[in-house]
Formats: sequence, structure tokens, C-alpha cells
Amino acid sequence: MSDLLANLWLGFHVAANPYNILFCLLGALVGTLVGVLPGIGSVATIAMLLPITFGLPPVGALIMLAGIYYGAQYGGSTTSVLVNIPGEATSVITCLDGHQMARQGRAGPALSIAAIGSFFAGCVATVLVAALGQPLTSLALLFGPAEYFSLMVLGLIFAVVLAKGSVLKAVAMVLTGLLLSMVGSDLETGAGRMTFDIAELADGIGFANIAMGVFGFAEIIRNLELPPESRDILKTKITNLMPSRQDLIDSAGAIARGTALGSLVGILPGGGAVIASFAAYTFEKKIAKDPSRFGRGAIQGVAAPESANNAAAQTSFIPLLTLGIPPNAVMALMVGAMTIHGIVPGPQVMSKQPELFWGMIASMWIGNLMLVVINLPLVGVWVSLLRVPYRLLYPSIIVFCCIGIYSINNSPTDVSIAAIFGVVGYWLVKHDFEPAPLLLGFVLGPLMEENLRRAMLIARGDATVFFTRPISAVLLSTAIILLILAGLPKIRRRRDEVFVE
Amino acid sequence: MSEGVSPSPRGTRPGFSVNTHNLIGGLIVTVLALFMLGYAFYVPNTVIPRFMVAALAVIGIAVAIGLLPVHGPRDFYGGIALVLLPAVALIASAELPGQRGFAFGPGTAPRLFSFVLAALGAAVAIGGVFAEGPPIEKYKIRGPSLVIIAILGFAAMIRPLGLVPATFLAFMISILGSSEMRWIESTIAGALMTLFCVLLFVYLLNLPFQLWPRFY
Repeated sequence: MSDLLANLWLGFHVAANPYNILFCLLGALVGTLVGVLPGIGSVATIAMLLPITFGLPPVGALIMLAGIYYGAQYGGSTTSVLVNIPGEATSVITCLDGHQMARQGRAGPALSIAAIGSFFAGCVATVLVAALGQPLTSLALLFGPAEYFSLMVLGLIFAVVLAKGSVLKAVAMVLTGLLLSMVGSDLETGAGRMTFDIAELADGIGFANIAMGVFGFAEIIRNLELPPESRDILKTKITNLMPSRQDLIDSAGAIARGTALGSLVGILPGGGAVIASFAAYTFEKKIAKDPSRFGRGAIQGVAAPESANNAAAQTSFIPLLTLGIPPNAVMALMVGAMTIHGIVPGPQVMSKQPELFWGMIASMWIGNLMLVVINLPLVGVWVSLLRVPYRLLYPSIIVFCCIGIYSINNSPTDVSIAAIFGVVGYWLVKHDFEPAPLLLGFVLGPLMEENLRRAMLIARGDATVFFTRPISAVLLSTAIILLILAGLPKIRRRRDEVFVE
Repeated sequence: MSEGVSPSPRGTRPGFSVNTHNLIGGLIVTVLALFMLGYAFYVPNTVIPRFMVAALAVIGIAVAIGLLPVHGPRDFYGGIALVLLPAVALIASAELPGQRGFAFGPGTAPRLFSFVLAALGAAVAIGGVFAEGPPIEKYKIRGPSLVIIAILGFAAMIRPLGLVPATFLAFMISILGSSEMRWIESTIAGALMTLFCVLLFVYLLNLPFQLWPRFY
């Protein structure tokens, strides 16, 4: 326990550094901005800002990127409540009751309950990340290459099963990512692989190029196809931000339950924050005395999902920070950011770079506090930003991305590669392939191959090693059982229902 | 990878043999596969990928002439692409040394993952042949291609022209992709965005960019 306190103290010491506070604030603000604006997701934004974090110290860079992620969870609710368009996928469900509350002139309480719920969830999740960090890390240090490989397989399978869309196609996407990650020099022999003698490919395909192409550019191209949406912003002035006593009493339970559910779902690889908000809403509706109030401005319908998505956004850092396995696309981007700064994600981060590990955790709490303080007074500013039309927004994003990619290596080829992946991403969406598993596979590719090779070498070429070592066998059989379960017709139908909703 | 440019509005029904959608999609698959088959003959040690792409070419022809009715085109063409990709990877990694003793060579893992991916791709494609699925969504040409041209244009302009013209021109090209573009508004916005980017990247982040064209 005293260890934990000492570590948190170190973390706050790092996070309270004025520069880091500035980065945290910047991340939280950008995150809120992105969360507010529909059509730009947090994945795309983090991909866009990756190049900019190059010049920053690693701690500051990661603090800022983390801030964008949880900041977006705050911002998303604002658009949901006021415009009835979800600013983020995670606040889709908040539209239902949040916008109804706004129509009844209770936009203020809806926004403040969302913020309070998010803050509470953020605090709980921060403590959880700190508390689970140590034991999980020491567990991971017991792992050999065979176990590590199996763990990554399990993580990927989990991510695939818990995300929307066909499991078969998602697994295919993971393998595509793995294959793409092998372009470039071989880790051990240095032989150029699948480079087609193109000099620019000798170093492999840059992570930022793929991320920006598949998420940034493809998303913009995709949005261009949609008819221009009417943004019917609520004209009523928001008065009375403070929720009443009754509101607080009504939502206290929902916030607590949402936080618990969100923390749990967030740790599992996969949809993370999105699933968490849906699950929390459904759960509240199930246990409510009068379920018919939901959809007509029930404050619990705002409090629960908003707490859940924030909790999940933060606990999804746990598998990344302790095991080095990114559970979703945002965390895959964080791996990319860490690798760019020369940090190998995994259990060794905590022992080798304690100031990074604990500083980031502490910054999450500080960031959440800042979000509550800055967000509510700034609601008016955010709303006015919604009046910027998309037709001016997307060219700005494109040139911003182009400069960003170019600045990484001063290489025009990188920009062209990102453009190609933009087309690929567009094509993938047209054929119902999810791009997130591709990115996960790409990020985990080098690690997986390295551990696979090492495990086979240690076992003297005996492939059964993955099933004869107990921990590895358990991990792999869990993965297989998961895949079989997801394939069963009954569960498949249930799964489809959950994601269609 | 852009088959199915003009989808049939009717989708694909059983018993409906030749339609333009299948004709174009099948032909694209055939052409790509034949192209790769030709390429594979220049690379030694590519017997398996040669068979793979030859099979794809045959399937492409069968689809084009309506011999193979496709019920779920989205999955079918998606799966076909995921067989083509590992075939390319197999050809590209054909000359890499494989397993030596107990140790993996540089070529082992790419080949291993290629075979698994090809199997999954085939499974997706077979599912697309038999299971009823939605038709391929219409591909828009104008918006996406202008955005891509803007990005490629930026890549081409940044070295010779410098940051300011490249940014502004890329902005103007990409904004043409919108259906509701207005000249004056766009020009002002483009100029402002260029200014913002110069301030952020060059003055704030201190990146060594060349701003204007260099005259030798």
C-alpha cells in the first residue's frame, strides 16, 4: 500500500510539472474539441497529432495523447445533448435521454451530470489503473516468449470478438496487419522483406502513415459521401448549469453502476468505451422501476453511459501499460507513439521508466479535474464551433495531416503511402471490413513474430510448446473457446443485436 | 482494388446470369490475377502463388460470364482481395531463406501468415458466393479522387514549391471535392489555414520547412 502511495506521489510530482500540466490541458482541450465535432473521431485525431508529438519529451507526448482520448469522452456528450448528433461513437446512447432533457429546458443539468459522472468515473478508474498496475506487471514478468505470444493471440481474439462486424473478417484484418508489419528489414537478419526493391520501404511502412491513411483520410472520404447533415443546434440559452439536489440523488446510483461496469468492460480488449456506454444504459433501463421514462429525458440515461465511457476509456490503458498489449485502436496508436519515442511498451515500462508510467496515471486524474473545471463554463464556445461547416473543416484536416506526415521524415513518399492507405481504408469500409483490427495486427506484428521465433528456437523447433507450457495452453485454449463461442449461431445473433442497437 | 465500380441496382439474384456488375467485377479480378501470374513467372520459387493467382483468374472469368452466381458481392470481392494480397506477399518473399535447423529464417513468418490469411480470405469469399449479402455500395468518384489528388499533389509540391504554396493548393484542390464549395469563402479559409499551419509547424514547433519555392 505504501508502495502504491509512494508511486502515486512520484506520479503527481511528474504530472504537476508545469510543462506536463500544459500538455495535459492541451490534450484535454483538443480532445474536447474533437469530441464536440461530429465526423472526427478520437482515433483519427490521435493519428493526426502523432507527428506533432515528435518534438516533445516522451512523458509530455503521452500525457497529451491520453488527454485527447478521455477529453473526447467528455466532449462527445455536449454534442449529443445539445444537437442530438453524437460527437463520438461513445456518446451515441447519450443522445436518447440527453437531448430530450435539453428539449425540456434541462440542458444545463444534463451537461453537468455528464461531467460529474465522467469525473467520478475518471477518479475511480485512475485509482484502479494504479492499483492493478503492479500485480499485473509482476505477472507479465513471469511470461516467457511462448506465453507472451499466446497472450497476444488471446488479446487480439478478444478485441475481435468484442468488436462489431464479422469475426472471420476481423481475424483476416488482423492477419493483413501482421503481414503489412513484416514489410521492411527482418528483425534478426536484416534482410529486406517484401520491399519490391523500393528504397523507402526498406525501413518498413511507417505506423503513422497507415494510421493516418486508414483512419484519417479514409474517414474524410467516407464523410464526403454522406449528405450534409443538418445541425439543428438548440437555440435556447443554457441557464442554470447546476443540477438540483433531486438530480444528484437520482443519478448517484447510476453513476456508480456505470463506473463499475465501464471499468470492467474497459479492461477487456475490444470495443471498450463504446460497448461500456451501451451496456451501462441497457443495464440502467433493466433495473429501473419505471423503464418507460428512458428515452424521455431520464437523468440516469445520461449519467450511466457517460460515466461508463469515461471509466472504460481510462481502464483500457491497463492492458497497454502492464502487458504491452493494446486493447483497441486508440491504444494501438499509443503503442505507436511510445515506439516513436523509443519506449517498448510492456511490463518493463513500469520498472524502467517509473516516471513515465506513474506520471501518465497521475495526469489522468489532473486531466479529469481540469475537464470538469474548464468544460462547463466553455460550453458556449464549443457550441459555436459546431457552426463551422464541414466543407471548410475537412480540407483543413487534410492539409494538416499532410504536413504532419511529411514532418516525420521529411519524406514526400510517406505522404503518398498514406494516400494509398486512405484508398485502402475507403475500400475496406465499402466491403464491411473494420480497419481497427488491421492496426492492432500491424502494431503487434513485430512483437508477435519476435516472440514466436524465440519460442520456437527455445523449444528446438517443436511447435507443440504453445500447448505444453501450462500458462500458454490456458491462454490459447481460452482464445479458441472464445472463437468457437462467437461462431455459435445463437451467440452470433445476440452479438449482432447488441451492436445493431 | 476498385472492382465493382458500377453496381447493379438490382443486386445479384440467383438465376440472373450476366449483369454488368459481375462482368466488371469478374474482369477486374481476372486482369489483376493474370498480371500477377505474369509477374510471378519472373520470380523463381513461386509455384504455389502461381497456382493461387491462376485459380483466381479462372474464378474471375467464371464470375464475369455468370457461371458462378455471386450472392454476397461485398464479402466475395473482399475475400478475393484477401487471397490476392497474400499471393503478392508470397511472390515478394519467395526468395527469402526459410527455416534453417530450429531457427526461423526471415521468410518463414511472412509465408506462414500469408497462408493463413489466404485461407481466411478464401473462406470469406466462399461465404460471399453462397450467403445472400448486400450489394456493393456505390463508389463515389469526385470527392474521394479530389481528396486523394490533393494529398498526392501535396507530396509532389512540397519539395519543389515549399510549404506555403503546397498547403494552399492542396487545400483548394481538396475543397473542390465538396458539393457545396464557394470560391471566396474557400480562398479566405485556405489562406487562413495556410497561415495557421506555418505558424504552428514552423514557428511554434520549429520544424525545418522551406516556405517558398527555391530559385536556383
